[in-house]
Amino acid sequence: MARMKFLCDADRCIECNACVTACKNEHEVPWGINRRRVVTINDGKPGERSVSMACMHCTDAPCAAVCPVNCFYTTADGVVLHSKDLCIGCGYCFYACPFGAPQYPKVGNFGSRGKMDKCTYCAGGPETDGSKEEYEKYGANRLAEGKLPLCAEMCSTKSLLAGDGEIIAQIYKERVMKRGYGSGAWGWKTAYRETIES
Amino acid sequence: MLIKRTNQRSLRHGSVSESLAGQGGGLDRRSFLRKSGLAGGALAALGTLPLGGVRKAEAAMAGPLTVGATVRKSICTHCSVGCTVTAEVLNGVWIGQEPSWDSPINRGSHCAKGASVRELVHSERRLRYPMKLVGGQWTRVSWDAAINEIGDKLLAVREKSGPDSVYWLGSAKMTNEGAYLFRKLGAFWGTNNTDHQARICHSTTVTGVANTWGYGAMTNSYNDIRNAKTQMILGGNPAEAHPVSLQHLLEGKELKKANFIVIDPRLTRTAAHATEYVRMRPGTDIPVLYGMMWHILQNGWEDKEFIRQRVYGFDDLRKEVEKWNPEEVERVTGIPGEQLKRVAKMFATEKPATLIWAMGQTQKTVGTANVRASCILLLMTGNVGGEGKGANIFRGHDNVQGATDVGLDIVTLPFYYGLAEGAWKHWSRVWEVDYDFLKSRFDSKQIMETPGIPLTRWFDAVTLPKDQVAQKDNVRAVFVQGHASNSITRIPESLNGLKALELLVIADPHPTTWASLSVEAGRKDGVYILPVATQFECKGSRVASNRSLQWGEQIVKPIFESKDDLEVIYLMAKKLGFADQMFKKIKIENNLPEAEDVLREMNRGSWSTGYCGQSPERLKAHMKNQAKFDMLTMRAPKEDPEVGGDYYGLPWPCWGSPEVKHPGTPLLYNTNLHVMDGGGTFRPRFGVEREEKLPDGTTRKLSLLADKSASKDSEIQDGYPEFTLASLKKLGWDKDLTEAEMAVINKVNPATPDAVSWSLDLSGGIQRVALKHGCVPYGNGKARMNAFGLPDPIPVHREPIYTPRVDLVAKYPTLPDAKQFRMPNIGFSVQKAAVEKGIAKQFPLILSSGRLVEYEGGGEETRTNPWLAELQQDMFIEINPADASDRGIKDGGWVWVTGAENNSRARMKALVTERVGKGVAWMPFHFGGWLAGKDLRGNYPKGTDPIVLGESANTITTYGYDPATGMQEPKVTLCQIAAA
Amino acid sequence: MASFGRFIRLGVGAWALLLLVIVAPASSGAQQVNPTASSVKEQQLLQELNRIQGRVSIPDQRSGVLEQPQGREWREFRNVTLRWIGGVAIVGMLAVLVIFYLTRGMVRLESGRSGRTIVRFNMFERFVHWMSATCFIILAISGLNITFGRPLLLPLIGFEAFSEWSQWAKYAHNYLSFPFTIGVVLIFLVWLGNNIPSKLDVEWIKRGGGLIGHDHPPARRFNAGQKGIYWIVVIGGGLVAATGYVLMFPFYTTGIEGMQMAQIVHSIVAVLFVAAMLAHIYIGTIGMEGAFEAMGSGEVDVNWAREHHSLWLDEETSRTGQPRRAASAAE
Repeated sequence: MARMKFLCDADRCIECNACVTACKNEHEVPWGINRRRVVTINDGKPGERSVSMACMHCTDAPCAAVCPVNCFYTTADGVVLHSKDLCIGCGYCFYACPFGAPQYPKVGNFGSRGKMDKCTYCAGGPETDGSKEEYEKYGANRLAEGKLPLCAEMCSTKSLLAGDGEIIAQIYKERVMKRGYGSGAWGWKTAYRETIES
Repeated sequence: MLIKRTNQRSLRHGSVSESLAGQGGGLDRRSFLRKSGLAGGALAALGTLPLGGVRKAEAAMAGPLTVGATVRKSICTHCSVGCTVTAEVLNGVWIGQEPSWDSPINRGSHCAKGASVRELVHSERRLRYPMKLVGGQWTRVSWDAAINEIGDKLLAVREKSGPDSVYWLGSAKMTNEGAYLFRKLGAFWGTNNTDHQARICHSTTVTGVANTWGYGAMTNSYNDIRNAKTQMILGGNPAEAHPVSLQHLLEGKELKKANFIVIDPRLTRTAAHATEYVRMRPGTDIPVLYGMMWHILQNGWEDKEFIRQRVYGFDDLRKEVEKWNPEEVERVTGIPGEQLKRVAKMFATEKPATLIWAMGQTQKTVGTANVRASCILLLMTGNVGGEGKGANIFRGHDNVQGATDVGLDIVTLPFYYGLAEGAWKHWSRVWEVDYDFLKSRFDSKQIMETPGIPLTRWFDAVTLPKDQVAQKDNVRAVFVQGHASNSITRIPESLNGLKALELLVIADPHPTTWASLSVEAGRKDGVYILPVATQFECKGSRVASNRSLQWGEQIVKPIFESKDDLEVIYLMAKKLGFADQMFKKIKIENNLPEAEDVLREMNRGSWSTGYCGQSPERLKAHMKNQAKFDMLTMRAPKEDPEVGGDYYGLPWPCWGSPEVKHPGTPLLYNTNLHVMDGGGTFRPRFGVEREEKLPDGTTRKLSLLADKSASKDSEIQDGYPEFTLASLKKLGWDKDLTEAEMAVINKVNPATPDAVSWSLDLSGGIQRVALKHGCVPYGNGKARMNAFGLPDPIPVHREPIYTPRVDLVAKYPTLPDAKQFRMPNIGFSVQKAAVEKGIAKQFPLILSSGRLVEYEGGGEETRTNPWLAELQQDMFIEINPADASDRGIKDGGWVWVTGAENNSRARMKALVTERVGKGVAWMPFHFGGWLAGKDLRGNYPKGTDPIVLGESANTITTYGYDPATGMQEPKVTLCQIAAA
Repeated sequence: MASFGRFIRLGVGAWALLLLVIVAPASSGAQQVNPTASSVKEQQLLQELNRIQGRVSIPDQRSGVLEQPQGREWREFRNVTLRWIGGVAIVGMLAVLVIFYLTRGMVRLESGRSGRTIVRFNMFERFVHWMSATCFIILAISGLNITFGRPLLLPLIGFEAFSEWSQWAKYAHNYLSFPFTIGVVLIFLVWLGNNIPSKLDVEWIKRGGGLIGHDHPPARRFNAGQKGIYWIVVIGGGLVAATGYVLMFPFYTTGIEGMQMAQIVHSIVAVLFVAAMLAHIYIGTIGMEGAFEAMGSGEVDVNWAREHHSLWLDEETSRTGQPRRAASAAE
């Protein structure tokens, strides 16, 4: 089985935010919801690095584990999705998520949350693939169309990789071998309990 | 008018799911991916895997992306990299953007701006219909009424003050065809006051570089940087300004284990990836470069053979370089000698090395001299004219190179022919109008041949006393089509100009700060807004920084009432009474000139720059066959029937007529290739020899032609001048001309056909024959280290007008006051007064400015796009933690920034960061819509205000103009910051 | 608990970062700056700070936290620790009460009913009590649902029904927090005077409150046990309310650690609170004859008062003369 993963090669990421707007564009994500974001560490100092981050679609996903209503599920491709029909907007997945992925529209009472929204790995949700309902709730379902997440496909420097974990790890390893140093597969240890030897 | 995308989407998705229905409800995505060959394909393209695999995978992808949706390709309108935008269109609605894997330039990638361009044609905040200011209120008018009223007013101004009183400000956002017609409109109106953004981005590059070796453009390409062993960036931040270029830079860095040197006052996002970062004081580029050259000469690292064969003026240069010993360089720039030595050694010895720059070098009073010094460093180390080498000048807008080439400029007619009588006669032949008719359009023959006023000075041209403006009258009307006002320095003073104008016309997709500031200036009437379509609603060619031409299709029809640039130009020409003459050879349909015909007309007249071979048919074939071009060489396989042997986008010069099938020139001045394979030489543009005075009083003549160097397999293996009929005759090659060609040559100059040159011969015969013999039509000369004719023939360091180092002003003063471009340039007096008044004590921080990745130019378009605007919601100023703590400023807190002129002040947020060094502050230049702390949102026509507004950096910027081009100086001035 | 260690680590990490910041400018003096070679490394940052934070340009500053692996510890708490604590506390309390009831039975009025009553709680006091109590019960059930619903209730009623119920339960939990908080504040104010601990309480506790055997240690209006409940309500209620509001208005006042901490405090206090209230409910209903009337009608039998709150009865009698009959009691 394929195991879809993300890998951000921090040596390549330049915080151009293409991944962010590609995501907005593909799914028409509303203002204030950031399914993907780029964080710059050590900003302005030598050693500064930017990393693009979204839901990593973890192995044994913490969000799924802590969800009081059990609205998460993992697809055959290893993509962690959830049902907005079941979600009650409690916010627990955000506390458990190591990557700050879950987002909440402020439609609930007292500035608290509406239904959680997060990166779907461009794989939609529980509705019929490619249906109108699916698009409105979760955005496009590229995976069903045989395409990979648009954020990675449009990454300006090919820093953000998406696809089967083994394949992207292979691409990354080759890169590391050629350039002579790694940049650390950010988040892999936390998300997948593994890292890429480099 | 707009159909909601979601409805469309559902259709699209419906059909997809139907097409997949055969695979059953529980679709095994893995096997589906594998079946379609995509899983590996898209992934392989991400890495640096061998290309074979990628091509195969991409071929598998070539089928229809979505049932029912059509795929159209255009070019991103946000920077000069030239990314292909792939659009899915269903029922006239742009429903989705897909990665453009086939483009050898962006290979699927985009930056934040490119990945969000679809929004531009869906925006609810776009201008919907023409408007005019009536009693201070924006009022809807019809197109007919607007064109009529504007035309009548322009004609009245012309009657009273002459044609030069109308300022035609065009745009690098236009296609080549639009920009060309806009320049032509100026010519037929009778003025050289036609300008565009190149003035404020790379005018100094164009002038400096062309004066060095012939053409003012990037010598190589983004892709070719992959070949460099040393990449040096001085005055550029491509990670934010040209993000997709970083794909090539960083992959090159990895694969070649290349040195990646960034010299910049800021530790930019680009610098974060450097192998060597050098922090310099803003405004000291020449000392930095001379400092490097000092080490190079000291250690004999220069390329002596290259200099001997292909460079003029080395001895003159050496004298200047000798002044810049490491101590003096450190005193002026702040860079330790050891570090600079290391950098110099890398650049000179780890070859090929390329020098990359952008506006960090150009936007200075010494901009032209800066880029000259950069060229000189390249020449000294033999790093021009080959793979991995060259001056990789990253231009700004998507078509700023093209708009410059097509002459939307104050100093030249299209394609750098200049303004002399010969140039006008050439274009009157191309346009098939009488030279005398054109002459009659101008106030005088003299003003017809005099460069116009740079856009940086438009408001000075309105407000200065009439006797200081060297034309019949002040500027009275401004017609601006696609240019921001907040990208021009000295905003507080521009308000006086806005108030004094008799007419202001803003033709743009958005109202821009021209609208909000003219209301703020107190205008109640005399302002018109015309809604113009974005380039995604038009078709035509654009030129990326690497000189490749790319044809963009119309993705959707112009939205609301907006019109194509070409149509607006035609309507104006018709109203002003010269449309029949101006569009003699161009097909018009429903008032819309056909872009293909415009390009064909350009092909017929652009011999000087080699825009003659890029017919619309060839360009369209390139877009269709994108996947066939190699990513590294950008060349298609020779055997391909449609684009065989071509370089992608036929980078100019693409010699001869389209039938000659010249492949384009991917690397300029590359003698390692045959000219028919894109080879070339330095262009002898400044004579064939020069008389020099020696110290003993005698003179000697030095050749300006190359010495025993020529492009590969040239039949002349030495320097040679440009080709004319006379020189062909001398070589006995005139026999190769056909009768038809001779007939045209005789028609061009019936009196002395011998004088007809390669650039004036409308038959293309002279070029064809030169190429046949392996020669470059323009000749084979030396590049000039000594660019006699420029204000500083050898670049000289001059302190910025407003410098914190007043101690250096006496030794390195700016050039004396002078008249340039019809205007006084009193930089010297301003600098002197600033020193005397102790401005540097009052305003101790150096203020620089630059780009953010999310926004572009004046920013109105991008600040209106919610997907981008969300990412940068506040104007800010970067300040070093030490300076911030001195002033009690907190990160994210509000501050007042005050400037050295006009009591200017601006309110914004502080970004406390070590990106900037102590004593330096930096602002992004994309914001507008605030002035001196006041929110001008109410000044925009209702519903068209950008989502994000903020103070403009240019409220604080100050006086200072490059003497050779009129370039402004927004990269170095002084300011003070206080917590608000 | 794991999180305390985490905070210590955090403190150490913050110092390390501060040192780095102080030292950094000295080294950035342009001598040898190779940003590529000196790039930050994920594992190193995690070791130092157990979280990675940087700069983002969007206003949502919590998105600047790139990685917070302590979410794992929080998950462990929520899914394991809390269920143990809650389970032991609540089931344990129920078990104790059942055993107590079976062995001791209802505490009877030893002297029987006198037929005369005395006002123990006036209308307002009863209103405050029952408002808080009603809210509490709903809050408790809807709260326990968040922790125990998924393993216990969901399998019984299925996803849709459980989500629907949980959604309403969440709304109820959020909205009823306000009257509950008001109730807690009023409880605090109204009965504060009667709940200051005194020497009598020590005596009362020494004698086991009279729960065992037939002892009746003297007490004023509230005995030590009731005072205990009072303080549990005031302190526990205050804590759940405070942490509850932090959770309800997420990230207004704190970052991700603060949110996790708030949830931890909220849930632990809440389950203990529930356990304590079970005891309170027991003793107020089937645990003791005549007790419910105090909050029911507001009037208790004089004999009940004599047995359980002798000193209070004396005070009341001396203040008002005769204990009154029910109907005329209302003030």
